[in-house]
Amino acid sequence: MEQYDLMRSARFRKEREPEWRRLEALVSEAETRGLHNMDFKAARDLAAYYRQATTSLAIAREITLDKALLEYLEALTARAYLSVYAPQERIGSLIRRFFLTSAPQAMRRSWLFILLGFLCMGLGALTGFMLYFENPAWFHVFIPPELANGRGPASTTDYLQSVIYQQDPDSTGLGAFATFLFSHNTRIAIFVFGLGVFLCVPSVLLTFFNGLGLGALYALYVDRGLGIDIGGWLSVHGVTELSAICIACGGGLQLGSAILFPGDRTRIAALQLAGHDAVKLAVVASIMLLVAAFLEGFARQLLQDLSGRYILGWGVGLIWLAWFILGGRSRR
Amino acid sequence: MAGELMPPEGVPLKLRIAGIGVRIAAQITDVAITLVASGSILILFAALRFTDPQTLLAIGALLFFLIRIPYYVFSELVWNGQTLGKRLMKIKVVSHDGGSLTTHALVLRNLMKEAEIFLPATLLFTLNSATPVASGVAFGWIVIGLLVPLMNRHRRRLGDLMAGTHVIHLPVPVLLKDLANEMRVQTEKRKPYAFLSHQLDHYGAFELQTLEDLLRAQNSPPVAKRNRNQQATIAALVETIRKKIKYADTVPSKDNLLFLRAFYNAQRQHLEQRQLFGDRRKNKHHVMEDDIS
Repeated sequence: MEQYDLMRSARFRKEREPEWRRLEALVSEAETRGLHNMDFKAARDLAAYYRQATTSLAIAREITLDKALLEYLEALTARAYLSVYAPQERIGSLIRRFFLTSAPQAMRRSWLFILLGFLCMGLGALTGFMLYFENPAWFHVFIPPELANGRGPASTTDYLQSVIYQQDPDSTGLGAFATFLFSHNTRIAIFVFGLGVFLCVPSVLLTFFNGLGLGALYALYVDRGLGIDIGGWLSVHGVTELSAICIACGGGLQLGSAILFPGDRTRIAALQLAGHDAVKLAVVASIMLLVAAFLEGFARQLLQDLSGRYILGWGVGLIWLAWFILGGRSRR
Repeated sequence: MAGELMPPEGVPLKLRIAGIGVRIAAQITDVAITLVASGSILILFAALRFTDPQTLLAIGALLFFLIRIPYYVFSELVWNGQTLGKRLMKIKVVSHDGGSLTTHALVLRNLMKEAEIFLPATLLFTLNSATPVASGVAFGWIVIGLLVPLMNRHRRRLGDLMAGTHVIHLPVPVLLKDLANEMRVQTEKRKPYAFLSHQLDHYGAFELQTLEDLLRAQNSPPVAKRNRNQQATIAALVETIRKKIKYADTVPSKDNLLFLRAFYNAQRQHLEQRQLFGDRRKNKHHVMEDDIS
């Protein structure tokens, strides 16, 4: 006969300790090898023992004052919780799901915001176009000198044409590709999306301003009778790139409108909900910007033919449109 | 600082929130890893003469960008909320509402990292006195970005707030021996100290657990000088307890530890029993609280 009976909390611990030890081993196995690589029995045991451990923890908080035990159970349950509720999706299936369903669906759900984005850009372009014909000096207001590349109302028609059809294209496409991506438009897209949170205003203004520059540049070439040529030059990458900015603007507007018109939700909750689609829009826009950079870096130098440029630019645009409209529809 | 997390099982877990310092350390590690990766590819490009020297910097920036974005998202997906830097620092992203981490949350918090950390950081490189407005804006941006985590209890940055996540220290489960059992082994041959129930009414859980810490510390290998101090501390403690609970017999100094262990057991059993009857005693002030109510 033992001289002392174990106290209640010590008995509690003694009875369950082997299960906790087993759970500890399973958790460390799940953490090192991953839940995918565990055999069925181990994975099943992990979930079962985890639930037992949460029960143990709840009981222990009531009946024991053994700090060591409480801390151990707390840590063990937390570790088990983290490995039981780990994200289970593989990266491959994740990427496939994004491209095949979730991205096009998000695009279709937020069509109104994207339309607004295009509208901002379009109105901006129209305004810029008109203002140029009113007074060519507007050109310098809308287009910063480092972007104008020496072009302006004062430059000769020959020079303007030579920019469009380069006689000796850049020897390294890669360099142009990289410099492009970190140029103006990518930064615009990032700002347009991110600043949408501030009640939409910066997004609208930036997109509109971007449109102004576009309109003014186009007007300059139209003025010299080179309208079709600049159209081709812009089409190659512009269809993709300007659409990307408009889509980024749509994402930003979505965030901003969630804050402006949260409906029945709190503003934070509305923002989080709007974030689901807005993030997908941002990812789509960044993919489009990458493609646009690729087109600008390589295709525009290789393709000096006018109709070829139109076909390539708008063809790529059609592919995007087809993806957004046709992708992710459930088969009946 | 501990935050609470409510898993679907409905038993709240207390997890220590990771502070700003350890998260910056993890971030620096990750930046170093991605920088080294993009740097080595850049050197490869340069060696193969893919590029001009003029565009090298732009390509380097591009590579860094293209490597780091998928790096953060995918590593946090594969390792359940940990990048390599976070693994090194033993911290982890968890979902704030206690569910599992969603892909959306991880993508969002890492895209926001671009806007919160990398964009202002690149702006910081371009700071100069020629453009005071732009420099001021960039500086203000960085300051606000750093202040947001300090303003809330869970140290969540903007991306965390939007994605519904926060970062915790990974807890380490270590099961120490039960002190109550050790007592049994040591006192099998001797007459133990016994306490009366009214003698155990003086202390609460806090004092008990402090005593537990002290007794556990006795098991660690003693250092000569510390040992002498410990002896003095324990003697003083025994004396204090004896006076407080009005334990009449004196305790010989060689039995000091034995007395404390016996007292620990008796006190714990007593308090646990009281707790089962709904009388939780947080600390020694419980007597006074009872009087007031």
